[in-house]
Amino acid sequence: MSASLDALLCVQTTVLWLALLAPSLLGLWAWRFPPQRMLPVLLAGLPLPLATLWLLHRVSVGGEFEGAWSPGGLLLHWRLDGLAGLLLLLTQLLLLASATYAVGHRRATTLAECAFAGFWPLLGGLAAALGLIWVAADLLILYAALELMGLCAVGMMLLPGKGEALVAGMRYLLYALVGSLAWLLGVALLLGSSGRLDLAGLAATTEPGPVTGIAMALLATGLLLKAAIFPLHGWLAPVHASAWPSVSALHGALVVKASFFILMQLWQRLMPEAVAAAWLLGLLGSLAVLWGGLQAWRASDLKQMVAWSTVGQLGYLMLAFPLLAGTSVAVATLAWQATWLQLAGHALAKAAMFMAAGNLVLSAGESRLTGLAGASRRLPLPLMTFGIAAVTLMGLPPSAGFTAKWLLLQAAILAGQWLWVAVLMAGTLLAAAYVFRVLRCAFVETAPCHEVRPLPAGMDLMALLLALGALGLGLGAEWPLALLREGGRP
Amino acid sequence: MSGALIILATLGTSLFTAVMIFLLPERAFRARTGLNLGAALVKLGLVAWMVWGLSRGREYTLAFPVLEGLAFVLRTDSLGIMFAGLSSLLWLFTTVYAIGYLEDSPNRKRFFGFFSLCVASTLGISLAGNLFTLLVFYELLTLSTYPLVVHRGTAKALAAGKVYLRFTLPAGLVLMIGMVALHALAGDIRFGQQEILAELAPGRRPLLVGIFWVLIVGFGVKAALVPLHGWLPRAMVAPAPVSALLHAVAVVKAGAFGIVRLVYDIYGVELSAELGLLHGLVAVASVTILYGSLRALAQQELKPRLAYSTVSQVSYIVLGIGLFGPLGTIAALSHLLHQGLMKSTLFFCAGNYAEELGIHRIDELDGAGRRMPLTSLAFSVGALGMIGVPPVVGFLSKWYLGTGAIQADMPWVIVVLLASSLLNAAYFLPILGRLWFRPGPDHGVGEWPAERRPVRLETLAWLLVPAVATALFSLMAGVLAGMPFSPLEWTTRVVNTEYLP
Amino acid sequence: MSLSGELFPASLLVILAVACLLDRHLVRACLAFIAFALLMALAWWRLDAPWLALVEAVLGALLTGMALFHGLGRLGGQSSLPSRDRERRPRRQVMARWPAALVWLALAGAAVWGVTGNGELAASAEVSRRPLLAAGLAIMALGLWAFAHHLHLLRRLLAFNVLGSGVFLLLAGLAGPVVEVQGLILVGLVVALVGSVLGAALLRRLYALDGRVTLGDGPKSIR
Repeated sequence: MSASLDALLCVQTTVLWLALLAPSLLGLWAWRFPPQRMLPVLLAGLPLPLATLWLLHRVSVGGEFEGAWSPGGLLLHWRLDGLAGLLLLLTQLLLLASATYAVGHRRATTLAECAFAGFWPLLGGLAAALGLIWVAADLLILYAALELMGLCAVGMMLLPGKGEALVAGMRYLLYALVGSLAWLLGVALLLGSSGRLDLAGLAATTEPGPVTGIAMALLATGLLLKAAIFPLHGWLAPVHASAWPSVSALHGALVVKASFFILMQLWQRLMPEAVAAAWLLGLLGSLAVLWGGLQAWRASDLKQMVAWSTVGQLGYLMLAFPLLAGTSVAVATLAWQATWLQLAGHALAKAAMFMAAGNLVLSAGESRLTGLAGASRRLPLPLMTFGIAAVTLMGLPPSAGFTAKWLLLQAAILAGQWLWVAVLMAGTLLAAAYVFRVLRCAFVETAPCHEVRPLPAGMDLMALLLALGALGLGLGAEWPLALLREGGRP
Repeated sequence: MSGALIILATLGTSLFTAVMIFLLPERAFRARTGLNLGAALVKLGLVAWMVWGLSRGREYTLAFPVLEGLAFVLRTDSLGIMFAGLSSLLWLFTTVYAIGYLEDSPNRKRFFGFFSLCVASTLGISLAGNLFTLLVFYELLTLSTYPLVVHRGTAKALAAGKVYLRFTLPAGLVLMIGMVALHALAGDIRFGQQEILAELAPGRRPLLVGIFWVLIVGFGVKAALVPLHGWLPRAMVAPAPVSALLHAVAVVKAGAFGIVRLVYDIYGVELSAELGLLHGLVAVASVTILYGSLRALAQQELKPRLAYSTVSQVSYIVLGIGLFGPLGTIAALSHLLHQGLMKSTLFFCAGNYAEELGIHRIDELDGAGRRMPLTSLAFSVGALGMIGVPPVVGFLSKWYLGTGAIQADMPWVIVVLLASSLLNAAYFLPILGRLWFRPGPDHGVGEWPAERRPVRLETLAWLLVPAVATALFSLMAGVLAGMPFSPLEWTTRVVNTEYLP
Repeated sequence: MSLSGELFPASLLVILAVACLLDRHLVRACLAFIAFALLMALAWWRLDAPWLALVEAVLGALLTGMALFHGLGRLGGQSSLPSRDRERRPRRQVMARWPAALVWLALAGAAVWGVTGNGELAASAEVSRRPLLAAGLAIMALGLWAFAHHLHLLRRLLAFNVLGSGVFLLLAGLAGPVVEVQGLILVGLVVALVGSVLGAALLRRLYALDGRVTLGDGPKSIR
């Protein structure tokens, strides 16, 4: 009996590591032979989410599983729980969509051959890094994966090779490097005070105190910088200005979220009761919501608007900290579910929105909002996709954003923290303001009729599927949330 | 067919139509028309089936959990099915009308797609089994009506759309906060479980009062209660079928229906009366009724006058809710249906005048009765109903309101009713006078602003038939009020289940 | 190893860092950095981490140095950057750069004091790491200030590398040359190298495109 269980565990571990590392191999393969059609990419990538689904099923049946390997005297820990599995699934789906979209993008426009080939190994590296971040239970793996992710992301942003992209990419690179040094310093302090790197061990041995506080502050600074949380968000919007839509989609959907995920993991283990610090993070998040929303409202360029809206939406995630610290179990459970639902919904919707915006810009040949006049007639499908994705961003039903907002509101009201209710209201109205600015432009009838460049159908379809996914997650939230409730919260 | 499946089919008919219309190309006029009419008929049939099943004691429910302790519930009860029946019936007529009205205009695919989505949301609102589900469709309604309001794409239409959103989006947000607070206080309340709030500890009563008014603000924007009514007259720039839909069924009725649900199925009428909430409602409704009528009197154009008349008429429903007692409730619920029939008639007619003769102002209507006799007849029926002249159904609403006021021991409400009826007469009778008794271009005086050459009838059959049909329905609902399945009979049935244990 | 025996290399490290960060002559600054990295390798050697010393010498000194010289355009025959940094930050902004470095220093210093004061480093073998800690703190503060202050991209890359080395020193000084520390530093070295290569390549592209060696004038000029 136990032998068969052991064998099953062994199979699970193998499947997990295959699912984690296969994307980088595929990426290297595609570097050598860049794909020309969408279908092979889709077929090559499809087994990965299926494998993750099976793993999730195993997790829901047998609980989380963990392990460690030891290269050269080091002991590196990992574990797969419901949350990590769900995020892995989300990552794989988004990467698949982005890869497929990229092939279409290449067919629709003239991209430099070598830049397009270079996209694939970077994508593979990003996939591996993200997967490692979700399953890591060890600061060393987290550090390596975080750096790999940051460098791959910078590399992808630089692919267009235009002047503006280079400046923005350089700024991003410098910020990311300094952020990782702040993180490393925090790790050094933790290692110096407790002598361990695995998260479970740290949680057991670390006591709240000035050293832990300072270490956490440094770690948080590094991560907030990488997650573009107000006021460390300055690099985000310019980076997206000239990046490819497939890259922007991945970046806005996953890369910034990964840093948030790490911060949440560390916070929950090292200082779950630090109320004042949690409130500080919550206040930063509130300011992010307001400032990001205002800037998105003011933006005159479609992609800039979408990028600024990322700054605002990330702020919602930060509200989790004050709602988790020192509150009742009911409130914490609600806030915990709300956060991950919001993260997933926003990831899907933001990827869809970047792709839809990319389609609009590519087809219309115009990136300013005013250039979109009459788009509802000329480009109904991308606009519809944009609108559906916007429903999630505004948190209107029936979308994941709405369900997450419901949970957050309920948590805030139960905890009596009315400030966050006001922030959520303001954020929603601001989101509606900037989204409807775009949709409003599209309804103008007096616009002259420009030529519209046709795009491969797959590009529109990918964006639409992601947007519908964000919508469907709103009412179909029970399955992932049930997985979250069972495990994941340390 | 199982209960869940038939509900899903009813809702799915409209959703499927919306998706199919978006997929069809713009030029596929015939396919779209067939799809629209077919779906409208199928839906009407399904709703009729459910009405029949319900009257024989069957229950149709569809529920699944969305969050821990919160479910998405679609369910038929006699109140919901009443609203569903109204919306399906009027959808059929409005679709027919819209097909004729939008002939040869651009963006018809977009229009009919969102139109179907809008009807799907209305149906969802009527079948919702708890506040969460109601909110889902309520917000969906906001989203799907925006493209209809700005459909023309002119600066004026876009400005109206902006005002519309400025009112409805914050209202939706306020509604959501109220609902979340109620959920945090008492958990998931299905409609009809009034006992949950009634049995709450007395210390929570002030909180309940606060939540009630928050929710009323949320619903009140769509129900156009003064001072939250500002969007409604501005939204007049939308095409006539949209106005008919907005005013008669979808948006304002969604707000009014929400208030009905809130008072009767969440708080329960006894608790509402105990907490003193009903008096507040009566006061708000009275102010709205008088203010709307006064503003209507001041309008020089036909559609804005009808719009302010809506502001005033919808509040009859709220007034009826506020009158504690079965008669007031009968008045409220039956007016929900009656006003829909009469108001859509009026808007169809106004659209006909504008399409056929280019008439927008009231003083251009002189002698139009001779040129367009059937349309004018339908308009007269609707207008007389609004004033409350028997045997049109509007009379029944006012009669029950008056008797309900006496039953609720609020005789001063009768003064409000009388004043508003006088005002109604003051702004509708001059129009009828112009239509029938003033000499116009057809008598050789002046000429129409922009006349379109008629086909065989006085205007397109697509436009004429719905107007006449709804007028006939409002007449018949009054004459045949005692028959089974008439609106009045059905509301009496609903009220019996509400007041009798 | 005695305390006084450690003092000399530690102070030499600080001096080289200062030379690397303050020199406006870019070739000299790069040379100073290479010397600094070699001295770092020596420090790892003396801490009984020969592999780390080797990696530091190859990645930190050799390859990073090559990347920096490539960035300057001194490798290969393409047009090279001007060898002097003529960018000056406006006086108003200069003052604002100091608090950042000072806050960082204060935080890190307090934490280091907290960790070492706990008695965990009381063993005599670890007292000898005190100079390393102090040098690490000083180098970190210098690097941070330089990173915030300089406009020239090459000098910012240098500052980043120095800052990173300071963090590594602190890491080793706090926890000793255990295997976890070596792993972290290894990853850090690779990251720093990739970052430097990427940064140098970018700098060359930017210079080739429109002759600029800065990011515009600070965060104000975004877009």
